[in-house]
Amino acid sequence: MGKSTLLRLIGGFLRPSSGEVRLQGKRILRPTPQAVLVHQSIVTFPWMTAIENVMLALKPRRLPRDEARAMALVALETVGLQGFEDLYPKEMSGGMRQRVAVARALVADPQVLLMDEPFAHLDELTAEGLRQDIYNILFNESTPLKSVIMVSHNLTEVMELADVIYVINGSPATIVARVDVSLARPRNPRDPEFDKYLDRLYNYLTPRGRNK
Amino acid sequence: MIPLLLMFLAVLATAGRVLGLMLASVVVGWFLSYQAIRSKAFENIYIAAIEVFESVPVISFFPIVLALFVLGVGGPIGVELAADFLVFTAVVWNIWIGEYQAFKTVPREMLEVAQNFRFGLLNRLRYIYIPFSVPRISANLFPSVSDGFFYITVSEVFAVGIHTYRTFGVGTLLDSYIAQSLWTYVVETFIVLGLVIAVVIIGLREFSKRAVAKYTLDTDMPIVRRGRLNLRESIRFTAMSSVNPLNRLAKYNMDRRKRRGTEQDKYYEEPRQKNYGYAWAGAGILIVGLILYGSYRIVTSVSLAEWGTLLRMTPTLLLDLLYDYARVAIITVIAFIFSLFVGYYFAMNSRAEAIGVPAIQGFSAYPVPTYFPFIFLAAVPFLNSIFGQYSSEVFVLFLGFISTFYYVFYSFWMGVKAMPSEYLEIMENLNLGFFQKMRMIIMPSTFPYLISGISSTINSAWGGLMIGEFWPNIAGGRSLEVSHGLMKVIDVATNNGNLAVAAWASLIFGIVVAIYSLVFTRRMMDLARKKYVAEEGIYSA
Repeated sequence: MGKSTLLRLIGGFLRPSSGEVRLQGKRILRPTPQAVLVHQSIVTFPWMTAIENVMLALKPRRLPRDEARAMALVALETVGLQGFEDLYPKEMSGGMRQRVAVARALVADPQVLLMDEPFAHLDELTAEGLRQDIYNILFNESTPLKSVIMVSHNLTEVMELADVIYVINGSPATIVARVDVSLARPRNPRDPEFDKYLDRLYNYLTPRGRNK
Repeated sequence: MIPLLLMFLAVLATAGRVLGLMLASVVVGWFLSYQAIRSKAFENIYIAAIEVFESVPVISFFPIVLALFVLGVGGPIGVELAADFLVFTAVVWNIWIGEYQAFKTVPREMLEVAQNFRFGLLNRLRYIYIPFSVPRISANLFPSVSDGFFYITVSEVFAVGIHTYRTFGVGTLLDSYIAQSLWTYVVETFIVLGLVIAVVIIGLREFSKRAVAKYTLDTDMPIVRRGRLNLRESIRFTAMSSVNPLNRLAKYNMDRRKRRGTEQDKYYEEPRQKNYGYAWAGAGILIVGLILYGSYRIVTSVSLAEWGTLLRMTPTLLLDLLYDYARVAIITVIAFIFSLFVGYYFAMNSRAEAIGVPAIQGFSAYPVPTYFPFIFLAAVPFLNSIFGQYSSEVFVLFLGFISTFYYVFYSFWMGVKAMPSEYLEIMENLNLGFFQKMRMIIMPSTFPYLISGISSTINSAWGGLMIGEFWPNIAGGRSLEVSHGLMKVIDVATNNGNLAVAAWASLIFGIVVAIYSLVFTRRMMDLARKKYVAEEGIYSA
């Protein structure tokens, strides 16, 4: 089992061979808009404009078109894409496309966001910008989100964003450590405490560190 | 009626049949493909059936069509249905397999988005599957239009024994003008037909351009891209589906569906869906029953003495088939050589390509049977003086070539265009000669495309033979006829109203061609996939 499989199990895309996944005490037996997955490979539909991509998440609710459009516009504005709603994904950069995917996830009004290495396919500068934006969105009081489960290989990114870190390693993957991060926000990567946490995480992931 | 108006109406009727039936194929194909990716049992039957029907040339359906529609339904509707059915069988397989392959290769991530937001059947089709299939459909429209026009013009007028059946269209109109020696009208009809075909081709090219611009992916999502995938590649998809995560997901969903109703705390459970399994099973049983009943009726309607005659004829029919295979081989070799030179030149020379490719597309869509009699009339004295009694063979081979070279040409041209640019740079860097390039780099790297094109050329060559091997009163009071050939046997038997012989020869033909396709073509495709996929060479490097 790997990290992406774990997210798919949590999201109800795959069924666990043992155990179960519960959200607010209720079992997740199939994918639900209450827990929306944001993929590592950026998923936008090339035949739809940015706003149509976002409105896709509202189709099952059968809202009036104007209302759905208004909600999608708000979501696009939240991710910094106001004014770009009529562009097709091919007319956008990778970072903009991933913002569209995040807006689509947010407009579904989920309780949990499942993020599978959402910045992995972006260059470092774009990833950093989007990371900051996601940070602002997630910690915005108006966001109905209760939680975000993000998988990442980027330890600095993990330290910047997470309150609780589960370190998984090996094949099949197992949890090798749980780290509760008690640093105040916003976190500064130059803070010596930040570095200490990073060292701990590296140690869990290297053979030498694990054998200590 | 004003002759020009009549010509336009006739051409529009023919074009309407072709395009309308293609549209019908596309729409029906979406639902069948969706069912195929949802049900393994349906998928196995569906793909196997398409594979056999695609490898059996459309023309071998002719006696069945005659029996079913013309003699069974009868009247103008029967004749119209016969023409429509022939065109339907000419255009449908390419389109259906293209849609199936598109549906089967929708990236898992896209499907997960649909699952996440709980899309139902219609929303999945509308927002994901159908848009995703558009580029694949557009790639299959050109060959389908060519095939459709080719067969519609010969199926609008046909003779069975003393009866001649007609349905309104350009084929019927031309036949009538030629019979009355109204040559000016014939030429004008050709021009009108050319104009309409040009409009259709331009429209399709525009549609293809838009489809590629709007509906193809260019993201990081994993997706199989191999140009025009051949039907035989379906095996790979079936193999893939048995191990890929999507299938696991599907299995999980199937499993979950069975367990539904036993768990009480399904807060995030979907509402119960209707189970269409029984309806599909019922429809399948009905179709199998009808086929069995039809077969029983046909077998019992032929007397024992007739069966004896048919069985005694079989060795001769097989020998006739051998003659035809030799013709198909010659046509294919010539088409192959033509494609290597012209296809490569077009792929490397953008100016020549801008003119040449649309010209060849237009030419191939223009139905050969309409203008071939004039070529025959012009060339017969010359060819008779050179080839003597074998001039008929030359005409038949030429007819076969011009009606079928397009497939191998187009596939090879696409293959060269799809070659990684690194290969072209290496060829230039090493200063390789033309034949060195061909032998060592271009032919191996375009091998999957070549096999795909060659198999289509072989399948379509039979249509040319069917028309050319026996063509009474082709032009100038002359007839075109070869000495041996199974297509001639079927033609003559149909013309004489001897449907038992025509159907028996067609059946033998269908069986042999299907076996050939499954044994030979599929192996070549497997070899192409294992050894000659150029994109992977670059990727792994």
